Amino acid sequence: MPDTFPTIAANPYAWPFDGQWNGGDTALLLLGFQKSAVADLTAQNELAVAVSLADLARGLGIAVLASQRGLEALVSELAMYRSEAVQHRGDNAFFGTQLEANLRRRGIRNLLIAGLPTDGLVHATQRTANDMGFECLLVSDASKATSPARHTAQLRMTTFGNGLFGAVADSAAILAALAISGNLHHA
Amino acid sequence: MSDFWPEIAPARRSAMALLIIDMQIDFCAPGGWVDQLGEDVSNTRAMIAPIQRVLAAARVAGITVIHTREGHKPDLSDLPANKQWRTRVHGLGIGDMGATGRILVRGEPGWQIVPELAPIDGELIIDKPGKSSFYATDLEEQLQQRGIDRLVIVGVTSDCCVQSTFRDGFERGLECVVLQDCTAAVETANHAAAMDILKAYGGRWGGVSDIAGFTAMLERADA
Repeated sequence: MPDTFPTIAANPYAWPFDGQWNGGDTALLLLGFQKSAVADLTAQNELAVAVSLADLARGLGIAVLASQRGLEALVSELAMYRSEAVQHRGDNAFFGTQLEANLRRRGIRNLLIAGLPTDGLVHATQRTANDMGFECLLVSDASKATSPARHTAQLRMTTFGNGLFGAVADSAAILAALAISGNLHHA
Repeated sequence: MSDFWPEIAPARRSAMALLIIDMQIDFCAPGGWVDQLGEDVSNTRAMIAPIQRVLAAARVAGITVIHTREGHKPDLSDLPANKQWRTRVHGLGIGDMGATGRILVRGEPGWQIVPELAPIDGELIIDKPGKSSFYATDLEEQLQQRGIDRLVIVGVTSDCCVQSTFRDGFERGLECVVLQDCTAAVETANHAAAMDILKAYGGRWGGVSDIAGFTAMLERADA
C-alpha cells in the first residue's frame, strides 16, 4: 500500500488538505442508498456511480461503510455491505450509532462521502463528521438532493470560506488522481 | 395554539429557550475576523437590531435565553488541524494573531459577543468548538435540566452554525424554529438557500418563522 495516493483536484482545494490519504486512513461512506430513496429521487445514475466507487475503494483497501435508515434494506447492489451497515433512525448517521467509534478504531482520518439526499442525510452527516475533525470529500455525482438547486446550494455552503465543511469533487476527479482511465457513469 | 411550532401540542414558556448563535465581534462587527478576511459583514451585522428585539421580548416573557460562542482553547487542543489549515489558507487562521486578538480563541477581544447583545445575569452561555451548538458542549444536558424541549434559533450564520444546530436539535427530538429575519449568511444566496432547505419536507426538521410569529406566539403561550 502506498503511503499516500495523489491528491484529488477538488473544490476549493486539492483534497485532502494535508495531502495524506491511503487505504488505511480513508473510508467511503455510502449514506441512505435504499430502494425508496433511490426511487423517490430518481437517483439510479448516482447509485451506479456510488457502486462503482465502492468497488474501486475496496480494491484500494479503503473501508466501505454503508448507512441504513430505518428498517428498509439497502439496495441489492450494496447487499455485500448489509452486515456491517450503520443502522440509524434519523437524518444523521453519527447520531445514536457507533460510526465515530468505528472510524476512530480503524484509524480513519479521511472520508469520501456519497448518498441521498444531499440536503438531508448526506449534509447532516458531513456536518457532524467535519465538527469531529474528519477531512471530508463530498462526491458530487454520487449524491443527489431533493432538487438540483438544493444540491448546488449545499455544495456551495460546503466549499464556502475555503471549505467550511470540506471539499467537493466528482468521481472523474477521483479517478484522475488515481490515474485510472474511463469514468464511473453507467448511464 | 398557533402555526409557530411544528408540534401542535400546547407550548409553555417554561419549556422554551431563545438560542442566539455566535453573535460575536469576529463574525458581526467591522474589524472582526470576517471583515479582516475581506468579506462583507453587512449581512451578519444587520441581524443585531432584529435580535435585540427578540431578545428583549424573550426577557420580558421570562423564557430561557442561551448565547453561544464559537471559539477554541488558547492551546488550540480542540481545534481540528483541517479547520486551522483551511482558515489560514483563506487568509487568517483560527488561533493566529489578528487585529481583534487571536482569532476565535476564548477570551480574546474578537471572540466576545457584540455589546448590543451582551448576556445578562441568569442567561446561559455555551462555548462551542464546532459549528453545531450541540457538538462537544453540554447544551443538551442544560436543556434537559430545565425541562426545555423547544428552541427558537437566531444568529449567524444561517448556512453554517444555525443550520447545523437546527439539524442536530431535530435529531435530539427538540422542536426547533428558526426566525428567518434574525439570521443571515455572509453570502445572501447561501442564506436564501439555507432557508429553502430548512423548509424542506414540510418542516421535517423544524419550522421557519419570523419576529412577528415569535412575539405573537409568546403572547399566547402559558407560563
